[in-house]
Amino acid sequence: VCTSRFWFNYRHVANTLSVYRSVKRLGIPDSHIVLMLADDMACNPRNPKPATVFSHKNMELNVYGDDVEVDYRSYEVTVENFLRVLTGRIPPSTPRSKRLLSDDRSNILIYMTGHGGNGFLKFQDSEEITNVELADAFEQMWQKRRYNELLFIIDTCQGASMYERFYSPNIIALASSQVGEDSLSHQPDLGIGVHLMDRYTFYVLEFLEEIHPASQTNMNDLFQVCPKSLCVSTPGHRTDLFQRDPQNVLITDFFGSVRKVEITTEALSLDKDVAGSESKFPDEELATEPLKYAEQLPVAQIIHQKPKQKDWHPPGGFILGLWALIIMVFFKTYGIKHMKHVF
Amino acid sequence: MAAPLVLVVLAAVTVRAALYRSSLAVFIAERVEVASPLNSWKRVVEGLALLDLGVSPYSGAVFHETPLIIYLFHFLIEYAELVFMITDVLTAVALYLAIQDFNKVVFKKQKLLIELDKYAPDVAELIQTPMEMHYIPLKVALFYLLNPYTVMSCVAKSTCAINNSVIAFFILATIKGNTVKKKRVLYDFLLSLEIAFLSAVFLALATYQSLYPLTLFAPALLYLLQRQFIPIKLKSKSFWLYTMQYASLYVCSLVVIICLSFFLLNSWDFIPSVYGFILSVPDLTPNIGLFWYFFAEMFEHFSLFFVCVFQINVFFYTIPLAIKLKEHPVFFMFVQLAIISIFKSYPTVGDVALYMAFLPVWSHLYRFLRNIFILSCVLIFCSFLFPVLWHLWIYAGSANSNFYYAITLTFNIGQILLISDYFYAFLRREYYLTHGLHLTRQDGTEAMLVLK
Repeated sequence: VCTSRFWFNYRHVANTLSVYRSVKRLGIPDSHIVLMLADDMACNPRNPKPATVFSHKNMELNVYGDDVEVDYRSYEVTVENFLRVLTGRIPPSTPRSKRLLSDDRSNILIYMTGHGGNGFLKFQDSEEITNVELADAFEQMWQKRRYNELLFIIDTCQGASMYERFYSPNIIALASSQVGEDSLSHQPDLGIGVHLMDRYTFYVLEFLEEIHPASQTNMNDLFQVCPKSLCVSTPGHRTDLFQRDPQNVLITDFFGSVRKVEITTEALSLDKDVAGSESKFPDEELATEPLKYAEQLPVAQIIHQKPKQKDWHPPGGFILGLWALIIMVFFKTYGIKHMKHVF
Repeated sequence: MAAPLVLVVLAAVTVRAALYRSSLAVFIAERVEVASPLNSWKRVVEGLALLDLGVSPYSGAVFHETPLIIYLFHFLIEYAELVFMITDVLTAVALYLAIQDFNKVVFKKQKLLIELDKYAPDVAELIQTPMEMHYIPLKVALFYLLNPYTVMSCVAKSTCAINNSVIAFFILATIKGNTVKKKRVLYDFLLSLEIAFLSAVFLALATYQSLYPLTLFAPALLYLLQRQFIPIKLKSKSFWLYTMQYASLYVCSLVVIICLSFFLLNSWDFIPSVYGFILSVPDLTPNIGLFWYFFAEMFEHFSLFFVCVFQINVFFYTIPLAIKLKEHPVFFMFVQLAIISIFKSYPTVGDVALYMAFLPVWSHLYRFLRNIFILSCVLIFCSFLFPVLWHLWIYAGSANSNFYYAITLTFNIGQILLISDYFYAFLRREYYLTHGLHLTRQDGTEAMLVLK
């Protein structure tokens, strides 16, 4: 999530896009990435190289291109949308690409960058998200079983204040600076005229460049990235809510999509009749409800219409009373003897 | 006279049908001058849809129509256009018949006064002749049916047309009251009860629909007293007896109608939604009236006081007008209708069209009207400027509400001046009739009549 807009916040967009690239490189497909950007850099009139966003000086690496899929762009990047994505409380008309379709076995990486302060993060120069809201959102996710483990990285000024309030289990949090410190940007590019990256993200990316899908680097190495000598601010991290030892957590658990694959050379015949195999283990079989994913997309609601309500009819007493009155008035004014002519 | 009326009706129906099929219908239906929160068609449809979903239409401040309208449109909602065209036609026919009878009454009275030598000798040119009065009913029907205001109101399917038709039937019942066939009755007051009954019923219905026709009680009473030849003296027993009968008929029919409406939805919800809404003016959507701007900029703790002041303003003119115009109740009814449609809380052009339909009845006052050219220009220009300034305010953003309110003010001032001009002309003619056309002061020079 990049929470800034305007040309002078170029570096935040470059940060986010660089992390996006690394994550894609390590195997996570676009369907599993929700990218929220203001997306006003590449086509900004002040961009001397239109349709590009560079993340290294001397314009070495263009992180924008045809294969960048922005899910929430421009004014859609709001606190409300962000929280709705996290908690899953999204209107039924939202397309799949804008949803976080995670379940209780998913590891989620959240990277946020922008301008922040002590306890808040500024969204698009018009609203803020507080650390309490974020912590509550994560708790909602935990209660709805929307994550297995969560890695939260934030690169803003006083970023550590954002993870102070987390209280849900299985969260690791990393921030680029402590409370009271500012995160600084890395390198201005004289050709483009703005700072291209922030220091913390720059060093994180240098670190990530060495990761490949099979690497065994763990979280402790990530905590060492960007010491004070390089970053000027002191990066912080929080692991007390995490149940495993960070030593044993692989970087690719969060940044890459690594699956355990077993290659077998034998042929397996898939039997239609599975009842036979089940009867071998009768005592192991417990009558359990079949496990299913939490309902992310309310398909039933979309496909099936609600039954039409019964139409309202005026009560019979009313109709009777009304017409009796009308007939009474008619005969009162025109005389009862006219009834003879009617009949 | 039936054939020209039928022609007029056909022409009116054609115009409306043509407009219904054109693209202007949607544009007109959403104009605030034509559709107010009280009578817009969208709200009727919304209320009926809520009812189909099992929710009371009065929950939430959307629907402000009376239960009888719910009943009417529940079955006729597919034929809505036809209903509104028929309503307009019925209104015009009712006005036509009423004015026909009124002309007969006027002529009879005039003849009586001439024979009694009540008129000054030189007022021959002021006396109305049957020749010129012959076409007045047709003109009234024409004025109502082909008035652009009425056409727009009909195309927008505003229920103001139904309110107008109820008032027109009330006027017809009141004016026709004396020509009911006299049957053999034992007591005099029973006969008078018969006469006033339909008038009271329609007045109750009109009051039930929108609260303000309550003020038409006074002119109707005065007219019926005149027909009964009951002198209007405060000490006269028959005067009070008749007033009590009429008032009790009216109140009883109103109570019966309201109780009947209770049985439609089995709740009293409609009373705060309809009458509470009319009286307390919570919705401040701009319209051609005077309430919205005032209350939009007013502080909360003054609003109750000013709502009371504004509402009393509508009802207040009845008593002075009754005292001044007690000999001329139908003119009083016209002025009262105009006052209602100017000062009511949510006026629309449909209300304006109703009293404008009566203008041909007083075309003999033309020579005494002083400002008629300016006033008609003001009214026509303001009618054209309403959509222009609305567009500038809402869509172009280069004007603000003050512009629209200025036109509202000008339009209402035009209407008020029109009514006071007709009032002045009427009184002046009456004065000339009794005192002669050439008035002289004590020293012999020519005198001018001034309305003080």
